[in-house]
Amino acid sequence: MDAFLLSQYVLSGLVIGVIYSLMALGITFIYGIMKMINWAMGEFYMIGSYVQYALLATVLGPGRWWIALPLTMGAVFVLGLVTQRVLLRPMYVRGIERRDEYATIVTIALMVLFRNLAVVLGGPNQYAPRDYARPTTLLTLPISGNRFVALIATLALLALFYLLVKRTWIGTAFRGAAQNRVGIQTAGVDVLRLDMLAFGVGVALAAAAGALLAPDFLVYPEGGAISTFKGFEIIVIGGLGSILGSVVGGVLLGLIEALGSVFFSAAYKDLYGFVFLIGLLVIRPTGLFGERERTV
Amino acid sequence: MRRHRWLASAVAVLTAIAGVGLVAPALAQNPVKIGVLTPLSPPGDAAAGQFIVRGAKMAADDVNARGGVLGGRKIELVVEDDSGTPEKGVAGFRKLASQDRAVAVIGQFHSSVMGAVQDLAEQFKIPVFSTQASAKGITERHLAYTFRTHVIDPDRVTIWNRWIKQQGFKRVAVLAENTDYGVGVVEDTKKLFKTMDVAAELKTVMFDRAVVDLTPQLLEIKSWKPDLLINVGVGTPVYLILKQASDVALFPATPMLVSYDLPARPEFWKNLGEKGTYVTFITYYHPTMKLTPRGEAFRTKYREQFKEDPVYGALNGYAQITLLADALNAARSEAGESLVKALLASKFEGWNGTISFTRGEGPYWQQWTPPMLFMQYTRPEQVFTEAKIIFPPELKTGDLLMAPKK
Repeated sequence: MDAFLLSQYVLSGLVIGVIYSLMALGITFIYGIMKMINWAMGEFYMIGSYVQYALLATVLGPGRWWIALPLTMGAVFVLGLVTQRVLLRPMYVRGIERRDEYATIVTIALMVLFRNLAVVLGGPNQYAPRDYARPTTLLTLPISGNRFVALIATLALLALFYLLVKRTWIGTAFRGAAQNRVGIQTAGVDVLRLDMLAFGVGVALAAAAGALLAPDFLVYPEGGAISTFKGFEIIVIGGLGSILGSVVGGVLLGLIEALGSVFFSAAYKDLYGFVFLIGLLVIRPTGLFGERERTV
Repeated sequence: MRRHRWLASAVAVLTAIAGVGLVAPALAQNPVKIGVLTPLSPPGDAAAGQFIVRGAKMAADDVNARGGVLGGRKIELVVEDDSGTPEKGVAGFRKLASQDRAVAVIGQFHSSVMGAVQDLAEQFKIPVFSTQASAKGITERHLAYTFRTHVIDPDRVTIWNRWIKQQGFKRVAVLAENTDYGVGVVEDTKKLFKTMDVAAELKTVMFDRAVVDLTPQLLEIKSWKPDLLINVGVGTPVYLILKQASDVALFPATPMLVSYDLPARPEFWKNLGEKGTYVTFITYYHPTMKLTPRGEAFRTKYREQFKEDPVYGALNGYAQITLLADALNAARSEAGESLVKALLASKFEGWNGTISFTRGEGPYWQQWTPPMLFMQYTRPEQVFTEAKIIFPPELKTGDLLMAPKK
């Protein structure tokens, strides 16, 4: 085995794994607080890529991606707040019996709506913002400047998210809600408002992934499909609801796909992650960092 | 009594005559509907579908301006989106056949969709035309209602094998999507490498059409050190391969051939920037080509309307509608069986030559093939009209230019 090639595959897998973990983090964070799966996560990723492209192509100019990125996240955060307030909050306040089914139907309907809206508003064609940076080399791997920027920005966002959750009052409230939604209400926290914020933060993370990967993976209505797919794969590996699991799961998935590509064939890259996932679920059904549900 | 009978008969005859008089103009006004079933949204190659629709609409306008078909009836196009997926294609075809009563369907772009709808065409007895679907199996099945005015994949592979031999490439890698088109092209390449005595080594790598990160596949190919990479993606994957091959420093150091005419489209440079420089691609039309009077009139009008040169999809969409109009007039009927007979018996003016359909052997069944050219962009933002033809030798205006070594 060529060590040089092996190192290239591993680095490539790690880079993409870290970036996909941003998406997984958004899914798992929303699940952790609201106890629902947002099936339209890929569409928020796609909207993030469209908003980023639109800002760069019309208002900011092609070089100012670093200004566009927080603006995109902010715009999608607001969209998330509105979506949660109008479409998802009713299932918590009206005592809907089958909450999971309600959330599944609403978010799948959103997925279809957003995809079709993208076709109507942006047309069916692909778009691509200009490259964020010149191509570079990461140790042995020649890498696009865009992906390098995406890696650094993802690490920065993960650090910010960690600080938000661990060091702030709102973070403490989020952690409390993740542990016990009823308990935190007895402490006087408005859990419905917390849900809204959690949904906004979760979809903003997906939008950041979409905006960062837009020059490499292009902007088009179905652009979010594969990242959703990876995101769900990662959270099942890492353990649903575990923030650490989503980061470790992302890195692990990238690594497994890379090693599978080296030792077998790159043509079946997406298969290796699934084989690992199935094996893991047999041994540890809760994923690497997931916990068994405890009810009283 | 007898007088009453006579009166009743006279009234009936007069009523019938009056009825025919009233109904006949109404019938004459009934439009003849032709379906355009083509990809207009992802995951299909939506840009391709848009060009086909442009050409078809301009053709319908031309035919209607000349007095229509079948003694003055207008052609009405019914456009349906197949999204490049067989299931949507089948649903769209069913709607065109049963609800819209289309007399023929054009616009097929993706081979997997064409493969799914051609059985329905037999069932409903409606001719279906491949506008840019090239899998050989489409016409190899010898179905009565399937027609094609586009290249067949073995011919595509034959011409790139000739080019590989001429250029003396020694290691050729093919990166292909796992669709009917991609799989068919890979099989044909393997087969024809042997029969055509191509001396080069061949490596083929498949990928899922939905995948967006092709870095592992491209790294595998790069480590194999090819001297030519053939890009067999359709739509978005073509761009992804080009971008990511450039990112891992595989292209343009290694020349890349795109298997169809996507780089001829105006949005190519917008999506790729300078990463598109030095790409070679197969096309079926060049602006310097001499066209038929019908093709020339279309090209002039297209340039006036869209302020750009037409691409092949638009030309072929135009040609298929005009030849269907001619076939309807020749058949003097919109019935499927009569239309097929007329299509087989007549010769039609296409965009660059005369189109005729014969029932040949293998995939050459009800098939007409346009010319194929290899073109190369040699500088960023180069307009299609200025790109050089590098193959075949009898048409070439320049040689393959290698990217300078960095």
